[in-house]
Amino acid sequence: MRRRRAGLPARRGHLRDDVTGWLFAAPVVVILGVFLLLPILMAMWVSLTSWNGQGSPFKGGVPFVGLDNYSRLFTRDDLARQDFMTSIRNNVYYVAIVVPLQTVLALGLALVVNSRLLKGRSFFRSAFFFPSVTSSVAVSVVFLFIFGNSGALAQLLGFFGVKGPEWFSDSRGVLHLLLGVDTPPAALADHGVFGLSWWEWLSGPSVAMCAIIALVVWTTSGTFMLMFLAALQDIPVTLEEAAMLDGAGRRQRFRYVTLPMLRPTMFLVLTLGLIGTWQVFDQIYVMSQGAPAKTTLTPAFLSYRTAFRDFDYGAGTAISFVLFLIIVLLTLFQRRVMRERRG
Amino acid sequence: MRRLASTFTGYAILVFFALVFVYPFVIQVATSFKTEPDAAASPLSPIPHPLTTAAFERVFTGTDLPLWLGNSLLVAVVLTAGRVFLDSLAGYALSRLRFRGRSALFGAVIAVMAVPGVVLFIPKFLVLNQLGMYDSYLALILPIIVDAAGVFIMKQFFDSIPAGVEEAARIDGAGPFRVFWSVVLPMARPALITLTIISFQGAWNEFPHTLVAVQDPALFTLPRGLADLVSGSLGGGTQYPLKLGAALLATIPVAVIFVIFQRHFVRGANEGSSKG
Amino acid sequence: MKLHPLAALAATALAATACGSGFEEPEAAPQSSGPASLRVLIASSGDPETAAVKDAAAAWAGSSGNQVTVTPAQDIHQQLGQAFAGGNPPDVFYVDASRFADYASVGALEPYADKISDPDDFYPSLRTTFTRDGKFYCAPKDFSTLALIVNEGLWKKAGLGEADVPKTWDELTAVAGRLKAEGITPLALGDTRDRIGAFMVQAGGWITSPDGKRATGDSPENLKALEYVRSLLKDKLAAYPKQLSASWPGEAFGKGKAAMTIEGNWIKGALKADYPDIRYKAYELPQGAEQGTLSFTNCWGIAAKSPSKTAAVAFVEAMTKAEQQMTFAKEFGVMPSRQSAKDAYTKEFPADTAFVNGAAYAQGPVNAPKMDSVLADLDAGLQQLTAQDPKALLARLQKNTQSALGE
Repeated sequence: MRRRRAGLPARRGHLRDDVTGWLFAAPVVVILGVFLLLPILMAMWVSLTSWNGQGSPFKGGVPFVGLDNYSRLFTRDDLARQDFMTSIRNNVYYVAIVVPLQTVLALGLALVVNSRLLKGRSFFRSAFFFPSVTSSVAVSVVFLFIFGNSGALAQLLGFFGVKGPEWFSDSRGVLHLLLGVDTPPAALADHGVFGLSWWEWLSGPSVAMCAIIALVVWTTSGTFMLMFLAALQDIPVTLEEAAMLDGAGRRQRFRYVTLPMLRPTMFLVLTLGLIGTWQVFDQIYVMSQGAPAKTTLTPAFLSYRTAFRDFDYGAGTAISFVLFLIIVLLTLFQRRVMRERRG
Repeated sequence: MRRLASTFTGYAILVFFALVFVYPFVIQVATSFKTEPDAAASPLSPIPHPLTTAAFERVFTGTDLPLWLGNSLLVAVVLTAGRVFLDSLAGYALSRLRFRGRSALFGAVIAVMAVPGVVLFIPKFLVLNQLGMYDSYLALILPIIVDAAGVFIMKQFFDSIPAGVEEAARIDGAGPFRVFWSVVLPMARPALITLTIISFQGAWNEFPHTLVAVQDPALFTLPRGLADLVSGSLGGGTQYPLKLGAALLATIPVAVIFVIFQRHFVRGANEGSSKG
Repeated sequence: MKLHPLAALAATALAATACGSGFEEPEAAPQSSGPASLRVLIASSGDPETAAVKDAAAAWAGSSGNQVTVTPAQDIHQQLGQAFAGGNPPDVFYVDASRFADYASVGALEPYADKISDPDDFYPSLRTTFTRDGKFYCAPKDFSTLALIVNEGLWKKAGLGEADVPKTWDELTAVAGRLKAEGITPLALGDTRDRIGAFMVQAGGWITSPDGKRATGDSPENLKALEYVRSLLKDKLAAYPKQLSASWPGEAFGKGKAAMTIEGNWIKGALKADYPDIRYKAYELPQGAEQGTLSFTNCWGIAAKSPSKTAAVAFVEAMTKAEQQMTFAKEFGVMPSRQSAKDAYTKEFPADTAFVNGAAYAQGPVNAPKMDSVLADLDAGLQQLTAQDPKALLARLQKNTQSALGE
């Protein structure tokens, strides 16, 4: 018998090993190739055409328009650009609120649940986590009812003598409401960039969008709480004890011991949050379809609508590639910022 | 004294948030047993008055929910079985087989995990259409029967199995598949359970893929049917007991599995987290 | 070495493309002979409609020896859109007038309507709605128009009689002033082009030219209409349903919060189901510069790709016969699209005379492709009509319409 290195299969000939390895991986490779790589290539082609959904996009006769579908999103003064920019604005506000809120909430819940003094921790942990595992469509239905015109939230606010807004038909921007301005100052209304006036850019999320934000924070915080919890449990008790002996107060311990140990998890939660929030779709589809007054329109939903409702597959695909690019760039940017901080 | 106060505050925070996180489900259950006027008049009340199962009767007789339920079950079971088997195969190859291109393949799997699913809607539709699979059970299942995250989880687990367990079997002359199937796979039971649970949960809740894979109502799964039942209804206060009842039925299977296999969900969430 | 797996991926991908069946597409759909099996997709208003269409289809199938499957769609725009792109659309389907131009312009519809017997019997306004580039594409299924719905109780309470029913905008304003009372809004008005558009038609304007080729949004007539509606809203003589905590005007009307509303004949069924005690009457809409209302309609579309077009045309022929349409009218409350059924209908439903009369001067939905997002944008503007300058709103409409029409 030949000698073998421990743990490694015998190299009885490279070819045979290669065949075995690729055979094992073949189903995954083929399916990812056919349903991931191939579609992306096809979509790249379609985004360069103005295919209208009739017949095959890969035959002659489909009008080739070059980069027109992309450039019109930024340069041409028409409704397509306006809708796209509106969706970007909506999503920026959405991301800017959801990501910090869910991160802070998840961290807070994790800290409380992790506290060794409390009983019934596993019950609470499950309660916070449960919304994350349910169907996005089903919980959207629940929130439609809660935020509805005669819904649970309206009644709850009524107990406190507050008359809540009609969430899903209220297109007013929250920033506008907070500042108490109804009519835009001319300086903001008359100037703008990318087809939206500054007034429109600075609207904040609409009241309707706030309902969706509440839903999303509610569903995703649980998952992120678990990640923080796992990281908290990995912090050696001795480290905290040492800090305690050094006379560090609770706040100082959190600031100088806990937080630095949580940094990798924090990075992960922020990254996943950023990637996830730019893709919001299910909730929009079920709850609002972009209404009222386009204030819950997001790039993901817009790309879907442009392709499947307006039969403009080229433009719809172009929007999704731009969205892809946004996500990639933001992730890279974030990675760089976090690395600089660390270094 | 101070300790007592902080314990009290801790509980107060926990109970408050537990209410915020759980009460919507209480409302959901309660409302689905309410009459329509009752649901509109006292949406917050956890007790239906009067109690009625009329909404569920209408769900089963007036909508296609039984059909959606059947489709969901079929699709979720096939998807789960497929994902568990195929992901393990690939994970095993990536972890324990030496072959040329292995590290590049692993890199490709990681890259695939980073592709945001939302940009694939239209592309997936295009490819299904080209292959003539659009609007079929195959379209619902095949494109998502493997997932890169599952491959990653299995690879990580196989990495943790001590080297050399395959040796004995190999000396007995077993082929690579036999070694995988009857020696290594049984050792991966915990990872397999985790993968099964999160695959089932993902498959059961899958919505956007069904949107671009089928349009025939006979092929709708529960989330798709439910979405069409309510979409665009914009808070118009009609038929909420019915809609919430249907949503409840979509939630129950996952809820049951959650209660039984909770720690696997927890592990799944954390396994998924290490992929960043 | 490193390129190896990627190359393999690409090769697989290419191989898969090559096998794709979708590439082979015949230019004209081959026509099958013998008994056909038709697939019919309908956007049903509810169970009565589904049942009535299924019964009628079964009867036709029995007498003609073909097979028909009728499927009610959940979201027919989306289902049809994907079915067209998938190359396997149903043979016959409802086409909403507002989507007609989109489907026709991409060549998805078979222009068959002149093959139906007596095509001139369809109301001219409905024919126009489904005509594009001089071709009458598909047979109108039925239609509805807008009328002024008046709450008789509140009307009498305000001391108004039959003679006070407004015939002009000025009279409408005057009557509204008298109906205004604590907790009662004179007019509940839907906040979209599908209601406010009626005022544009009455003023002599519309969003596009009759052939759907030119944008006419910023005309002085349209401006006059919007300014009039705006003044009603500002003086609290009219309100949008949202302001009345209602999901649609009929709800506010049914609850007695509004004395009048402008809705179509569907309001009959809704009021009967939800507010059976309310007494009301329907009158023709008051005039501006001319008489005007809006019509809403579907046609029986036949897919250009259908393999059984002959059978499909025969099916539509049966569905659009005057007697069949009267049956539908009785089953689920729509108005027949054939003028020859008008007398029978008004005899059966005398209270609907105002709706039927509207057919003579009704404007159909915008008949041009790619207008869906433009019109959605207009609706968003109309929802904020009191806070906006109507002129700017129309200028925006004009600009968007022009770019959609490629002017």
